[in-house]
Amino acid sequence: MAVLNERERSKKPLSPWKSKKTSDKKAVAFPGVKSLNGRWGYLYVAPFVIMFVIFGLAPVFYSVYISFFHWDPLGTSTFTGFRNFNLLLHDSDLWLALRNTFSIWALSTFPQMFMAIGLANLLRNTRLRGKSFFRTILLVPNITSVIAITIVFSQLFGRDFGIINDFLGWAGLGHHIDFIEGVIPSHVQIATMITWRWIGYNTLIFLASMLAIPNELFESSSVDGASKWQQFRFVTLPQLKNTITFVLIVGTIGGLQVFAEPQQLAADGGSSKQFLTLTLFLYNQAFVNNKYGYAAAIGIFITFIVLIISAVNFVISRKISNDGTR
Amino acid sequence: MRNLTITKSRAKSLVASLTAVAIGAAAFSAPAKAADPVTITIWTFGDVIQRNLVAEYKALHPEVSLQIKKSDLDPLDGTNMVTACTAKTGPDIVATEVSYSGYWRSYPKCFQDLRLMKATGEPTAGIPAGQTVTDIQKNYLAWRWAQGVAFDGSVIGIPTDVGGLEVAYRSDLFKKAGLPTDRAAVAKLWPTWDAFIAAGQKYDAKLSAADKKAGKGFIDNAGTIYAAIMNQGTAKYYANDGTESGKLIYATNPQVKLAWDTTIKATKAGIGTRIGQYTSDWNIGMNKGTFATILAPAWMMDYIKAQAPDTAGKWDIASIPGGGGNQGGTQLGIPAYAQNKQAAYDFLTWYLAPAQELKVFKSYGLFPAASVLYNDPALVNFKDPFFSNAPVGQIYAAGVQKLKPIFEGKLQRAIDTAIGAGLGRVAAKKQTADKSWAQVLSDLNKVVNN
Repeated sequence: MAVLNERERSKKPLSPWKSKKTSDKKAVAFPGVKSLNGRWGYLYVAPFVIMFVIFGLAPVFYSVYISFFHWDPLGTSTFTGFRNFNLLLHDSDLWLALRNTFSIWALSTFPQMFMAIGLANLLRNTRLRGKSFFRTILLVPNITSVIAITIVFSQLFGRDFGIINDFLGWAGLGHHIDFIEGVIPSHVQIATMITWRWIGYNTLIFLASMLAIPNELFESSSVDGASKWQQFRFVTLPQLKNTITFVLIVGTIGGLQVFAEPQQLAADGGSSKQFLTLTLFLYNQAFVNNKYGYAAAIGIFITFIVLIISAVNFVISRKISNDGTR
Repeated sequence: MRNLTITKSRAKSLVASLTAVAIGAAAFSAPAKAADPVTITIWTFGDVIQRNLVAEYKALHPEVSLQIKKSDLDPLDGTNMVTACTAKTGPDIVATEVSYSGYWRSYPKCFQDLRLMKATGEPTAGIPAGQTVTDIQKNYLAWRWAQGVAFDGSVIGIPTDVGGLEVAYRSDLFKKAGLPTDRAAVAKLWPTWDAFIAAGQKYDAKLSAADKKAGKGFIDNAGTIYAAIMNQGTAKYYANDGTESGKLIYATNPQVKLAWDTTIKATKAGIGTRIGQYTSDWNIGMNKGTFATILAPAWMMDYIKAQAPDTAGKWDIASIPGGGGNQGGTQLGIPAYAQNKQAAYDFLTWYLAPAQELKVFKSYGLFPAASVLYNDPALVNFKDPFFSNAPVGQIYAAGVQKLKPIFEGKLQRAIDTAIGAGLGRVAAKKQTADKSWAQVLSDLNKVVNN
């Protein structure tokens, strides 16, 4: 921010180390580069940009390169042109992985969003005691290791001695359901883990945006005789549109990257690949089957999916902001 | 290390004279070397590197510190080495599980050829200076040693342990079902896998309706029979045709068919509880007597003890059907780009010497690959009270000596995975055996050709 302010007033060259701003330690480290005044911004963003180019951008281009090869990182690689892509589009596993990824995404995103909005609405209550305590513990699942979460949840979902099966059996809803072997049951199990891990984070985001809603809106609606539910439905929800879009986009990006949960359940994605996700498919092709070029092609495929989804998201969020509500 | 006051440079100049003194005075007290401090980095998994042995080595070599790193995503840590070798870097020592040895034998360039190394010597452990791997090879089980030898003959790993595979069974449950309980009689009950399946059916027939509803059965998971039979043969998925990579024979090898068919037969006979190993259901089932048998490698004994301490004395160990078995095992090697090869090699020769492997077996149950120990009274007479005082040393030693070397290839893990999934589909009644096998073949076709 300091940099932006300086640049706005940039007519008069400002000696950076004379400024009283706290971020000036850096500038002192580079005395004698006065002529760069106004370009300090580049220096500030440099750490990120350099890191991003080396660890983000370069590998992307390198993956594109190796996707045209039968790639052996330790032996000899042969150029195969579009062979990897051709095989990939004819590989039934790809479409299976795509199906699983979207199914897990849908099962984890939508129920989670409803619950997060509900929780946030509860926490918004000004008369709630121990508010900061609840807001803090909401983030605990988010900082727990995925591996630990998977261990705990596979115990809960265990076929023979899992507590969820005990409960279902007691309620007469089923007996020894094998959550891992079924398609939808395994997706439910994975989606539950994701929901548990991210619901607190999303609740906080919804809460922050709810607290930003001007109180006048609630006051005037209650003058008009709106019930609590009507307030929620016609005041709170419309004000959350942008936040909902944001949570959806972030959830979609996360949903396309679901990896550790299914990998820890069964490294091959299940006996009939019932929970093989796109990223797990990529990982297994590279590190189990030693098909690095093929895996790179999968990576590019995922990139295209992300591009398509981003475009859809873009259109939708444009539409929402054009609707008038900020 | 008592001359703590001397400076490093002086210490260096003193090394030569000190060594001369050490050689001259035969009975020189323990840490005679004033060597430079060195840090050995180790990439490992599980319990391969034992903490108390590390402490023992540190007492011998105060100048050495060991930095141990474990991977949590991949329990066997097989992929980091690929990255490290590509980037021409790596730790000083890497632990390789045998399921990866088929892969690494094609890439000796990623490892230091241990034939070219000479030990500095460790008088307290009886390791002479100048000792090479050729000198110690005879101490180890031949087929197990071969898993650490690359296609060009270079030695890329020395075995820490051999899995072995025998049957751990609950003698109390056997008694209830009217089966023999004495381990010799039990072994006689199942000389073959067919007899094993028949014994399982007999056991299941004696289960009450309530037990059956609770999902009880004879063996934890019938799918484990497959790998056991595969290791009893002379070839798996590759034939050694003299080339570096070998020739793929998974579709034609009769051993594969035998193992598949027998496992399917056991699955259809319903003798397994279909509980996946290393799941929470498995751990609980072990306590509750949900299953009466487990095909157990030696290293699993420690796991059973830890998970089901209350079942102590109810277990016993009998020989596996079909003669001998193995599952798992690890070897230690030195990556080609290691920084401290000599220090790493000195640690290896000490850590993998028979005396140390015996200690590891006694405290952690990892069965020594050092076959010189198989006649050692300390191993032969070793009895485990948890397993009804079974002479586990004797039983596992007899088992591993029946096996033959098997040529392993690059894609072995991928092929094992595809076939394991195929067996899983049949067990979960998702596919018929024929359909599942057809899918295995088409999946493998992709693995091999794509």
